[in-house]
Amino acid sequence: MAARTRSNSAGRATPLLALGACALALLPLFHPPLFFESFLYLIFFWITLATSWTILGGFSGYVSFGHGAFYGIGVYAMANLGKPLTFGPALLLAGLLAAATGVAIGAVTFRIRRLRGELFALLTLSLAIIISTIVLNTPIDGGPGVMVNIAIPHVYEQQSSTLYLIGLCVAFGSIMVARAVQLGTLGRGLFAISDDEDVAEILGVPTFAYKLIAIGISSFLAGVMGGVHAIFVSYVTVGETFSISVPLYVLLMSILGGARHWLGPALGAIVITTISYSFVGGDSALIARAAIGLTLIVATIFLPQGIIGLLLRARITAPELPAPHASFAAAPKTPPYEPTDGPLLEAREITMSFRGLRALDGVSLTINKGEILGLVGPNGSGKSTLINVVTGFYKPTGGVLLHCGHDITGMSGHERARLGLARTFQIPRPFARQTVLDNIMVPALFGARHESRGDARDRAMEAIEFVGLQDRCDALPDELNLHQRKFLELARVLASGSRLVMLDEVLAGLTPREISEAIEMVRKIHACGTTILFVEHNMRAVLELSDRLIVLNQGHLVANGNPREVIADPVVVAAYLGADHAEN
Amino acid sequence: MLKIDRLCVNHGLASALTGVSIEVNRNELVAVIGPNGAGKTTLVNAIARILPVHAGDIFFEGEHVTNLSPLELGARGVALIPEGRRLFTTMTVEENLDIGCYRTLARTHRAASLDHVYDMFPVLRERRKQIAGTLSGGQQQMVAIARALMSRPRLLLIDEPCLGLAPIIVSQVFEVIAMIRDSGVAILLIEQNAVKALKIAQRGYILDCGNIVAQGSPAELEAQGEIKAAYLGAH
Amino acid sequence: MSATLIGQSLLSGLMSGCLYALLGLGLTLTWKYLRIINLAHFALIFLAAYLTYEMSTRGWHPFLSALLLLPVFFMLGAAQQVLMSRYKVDEFASVIVTFGVTIIIESLIQYVWSADFIRVEKRLARGSLELGPWLAPWDQLIMCGFSIIACLLVWVVLKHTWHGKALRAQLDNPSIAAAFGVPNRKLSLALAGMGSAFAALGGVFIALLFTLTPSQIYSWFGVILATVLLGGLGSTFGALAAGMVIGVGESLTMALTAPAWAPIVPFTLLILILILWPERL
Repeated sequence: MAARTRSNSAGRATPLLALGACALALLPLFHPPLFFESFLYLIFFWITLATSWTILGGFSGYVSFGHGAFYGIGVYAMANLGKPLTFGPALLLAGLLAAATGVAIGAVTFRIRRLRGELFALLTLSLAIIISTIVLNTPIDGGPGVMVNIAIPHVYEQQSSTLYLIGLCVAFGSIMVARAVQLGTLGRGLFAISDDEDVAEILGVPTFAYKLIAIGISSFLAGVMGGVHAIFVSYVTVGETFSISVPLYVLLMSILGGARHWLGPALGAIVITTISYSFVGGDSALIARAAIGLTLIVATIFLPQGIIGLLLRARITAPELPAPHASFAAAPKTPPYEPTDGPLLEAREITMSFRGLRALDGVSLTINKGEILGLVGPNGSGKSTLINVVTGFYKPTGGVLLHCGHDITGMSGHERARLGLARTFQIPRPFARQTVLDNIMVPALFGARHESRGDARDRAMEAIEFVGLQDRCDALPDELNLHQRKFLELARVLASGSRLVMLDEVLAGLTPREISEAIEMVRKIHACGTTILFVEHNMRAVLELSDRLIVLNQGHLVANGNPREVIADPVVVAAYLGADHAEN
Repeated sequence: MLKIDRLCVNHGLASALTGVSIEVNRNELVAVIGPNGAGKTTLVNAIARILPVHAGDIFFEGEHVTNLSPLELGARGVALIPEGRRLFTTMTVEENLDIGCYRTLARTHRAASLDHVYDMFPVLRERRKQIAGTLSGGQQQMVAIARALMSRPRLLLIDEPCLGLAPIIVSQVFEVIAMIRDSGVAILLIEQNAVKALKIAQRGYILDCGNIVAQGSPAELEAQGEIKAAYLGAH
Repeated sequence: MSATLIGQSLLSGLMSGCLYALLGLGLTLTWKYLRIINLAHFALIFLAAYLTYEMSTRGWHPFLSALLLLPVFFMLGAAQQVLMSRYKVDEFASVIVTFGVTIIIESLIQYVWSADFIRVEKRLARGSLELGPWLAPWDQLIMCGFSIIACLLVWVVLKHTWHGKALRAQLDNPSIAAAFGVPNRKLSLALAGMGSAFAALGGVFIALLFTLTPSQIYSWFGVILATVLLGGLGSTFGALAAGMVIGVGESLTMALTAPAWAPIVPFTLLILILILWPERL
């Protein structure tokens, strides 16, 4: 699978690609037939558009139907501004205008929590219509189309050869940008967003900003290619520029080639362009079009990884494991606390209502540095809601949350993750299409420690070794059993280097032997200086581990203190066994 | 009436129930109690055929029903009041009750059934045009119970009816369940609130870590001291 | 700007609104209740329009064609839904998959009828209803009547029949609904079929009111999606109201500026809503 090899697949492909690009750049010297150059130019054109689409649509999962709009902005920017500004500045402006439009549409849709992906797809679909209407009704075009007659830098004798070279450069550049994005921190964040955006945010990925950056890069590249293409076609019209075929072909090429890999769209572009170049004119063009529609359906349903996925699956070799680390099985170090007095976390009168149902009703509590605080309560007492409020997934309807004395109530999830608040999920929520190592890389890169890439990898490996998953580094989450997936959750919070770790029922569903292992693991995590909020049903484990115990019932905090004393408290007994028990 | 024989259910690769056997007789209210995470909800969902059974058998009125769909089981007269109520929250109270009697047979008794449940819960008659999601927690629980009664069940599976309800409402809910018991419907009550549940039950089972650790009449269970051990880990 | 012109704009805007609601009806239902964003709805509308044209050249009355098309399209929609659920296509993939279906149908239309503009010669009615200085063409009024009746019908079915209640229950909580005997699968197929049948009805009127060319399939995307989203998913009267707001907005824009600016109206409204009330949709 594409994701499985993403950490080391870039090795041989890139020099080969660069070599190929150099060879193609020299091609005009050998005076190939004219149609050959223009055919290759079209391939470069589609490679650029498909690759730029993938940076947003493939990596982050936000499918855009409006790529034609960004490209069209580039076309008309060059057509109108090429003369006064000359080629270079106009090309840059073409990209920037497209990027600005993309960021604006992203800023509107990416804030929405429900349906954001679908709304984004539909809004971008409409964007092309808006832009084309504006272009058609203003002097930008005005209706008859625009002649483009702009001098371009003189490299080869023929202008068409020079244009071919520019197309090649833009295409190669786009592929390299996509590669850099995918292998860099931004790519890690985008892939996490596409698998589970809420979890990504809680692990520290600044999801909103990353999506905006991605759409900015994506639309910039499309705009630049549009600028080049304006010169290639030399006469631009609204009908041609904003036709539905641009977004359609781009989508198809990316999905067919493999939208989760930087090289996938380029492969898809080569295949599709070659096919449609062979069927031109009349009915055969129509049949090709219908075949494209069919391919789109089949690829979406049966080939989610694309051609590149097939190729990579064929050559998966033994995973490349780093040498055992010196601090084997030692917990990652937690950064020193800021020199403040008082509790690590304090909640004051937190209230959380859902449609009139009060899940938390004025809960005040403190979590002290270095303790294991047990949290128990009957089903529905508000334990999970409390964790969700602390991590920032819910905004409390009332109350204040203080971290080291600073108010963090209004802070977003990823900012809290960087402060060192982390959680595990009762039902593990790994990034389903990423390997164990890649899963752990996300908190190592984005969490409290905020490591550089190389360090993050070491830290992730340490965390993986700590929980004993080193043999499964290259496995996908689906291939792990429940026990291993729970440990994957633990490795995530470890790798983040957080000061406060909230463990939500890590023992649920484990066998007695696995429970003892897990308890041992929690002890070891705590021994490294991590503060732990331990939410658990298993009362024996709670008594064994907790320094202090608090009890929630009906959204209220009903007890707080020494675990054994709390357990004997009549109020707590009543909460668990039934209200009458206390009276008897 | 209901007989469960060595039932095993797995959650993914973890086992949630390991050989649970219980019985419910005609006109009987049986309580299954136990702490969080003991497997109570898994048990009731397996009986209602929402969760797949790994091993063991379920018999209803002598017939083997382990392989039926929820639809087919419902047609035989088993109704579920699920944990967390799970109403049709965007629909009105009366529309919720209508879905309760959606089956052709129950539909013919719609008017009589409505009268019956409205007499039992007068507040629902007042609010029959209100959207169910806007009711208070206690009223929502009443809708859930009424909806199940609309299907004219012979066996009612009730899963944690008091979750998230205020204590005073909890007492009312138990009164209602006792009323249903007296009207001749067999009930399997899954409950965390051991004391209250055993007050209205004829027999009880204690479930802990996927096993039945004790069973008997309420008095016997209280005497064994198993309840406290299961809940609070006291030795 | 005369009162006559404004009044006429309002009137024709309201009538366009009825058309938008009619075209969006099936879309909003399948989106809300089946979680399928069926872009193929637009292609089906045009397929029905072209078939209406074809039959009209053989002398069929449009209503007679509708009578034939409705059940046929019902089956088409149900068949698509069978495949969608067989391959577990989720809401998101449904956008891409049905886009593929749209392209196939578009190619088919172009293959059979070519890309040339065509027009159905048969009119439902000639002339206009005169309301003082304002004119309402009779054939458009008939369309409005059908649209309003269709919206009303769907509302009544959803609100007051056993099937409608079951459908809404299924949306809220499918497994619980099933436990009470709601046949989820059958209802889904019936709804998908109904959605396509509405596409056929819309197509008949598109054929009667507009000149046809295959690429116009895409030009309807924006305005109908805006109608559906503005009106609130699954809401028939919402779609009707939103359609009218958009229609009036468009016709006023046309009257006040130039006709070519009209396509901007629905999206400006949609984007405004997204900015002002992001969680409303």
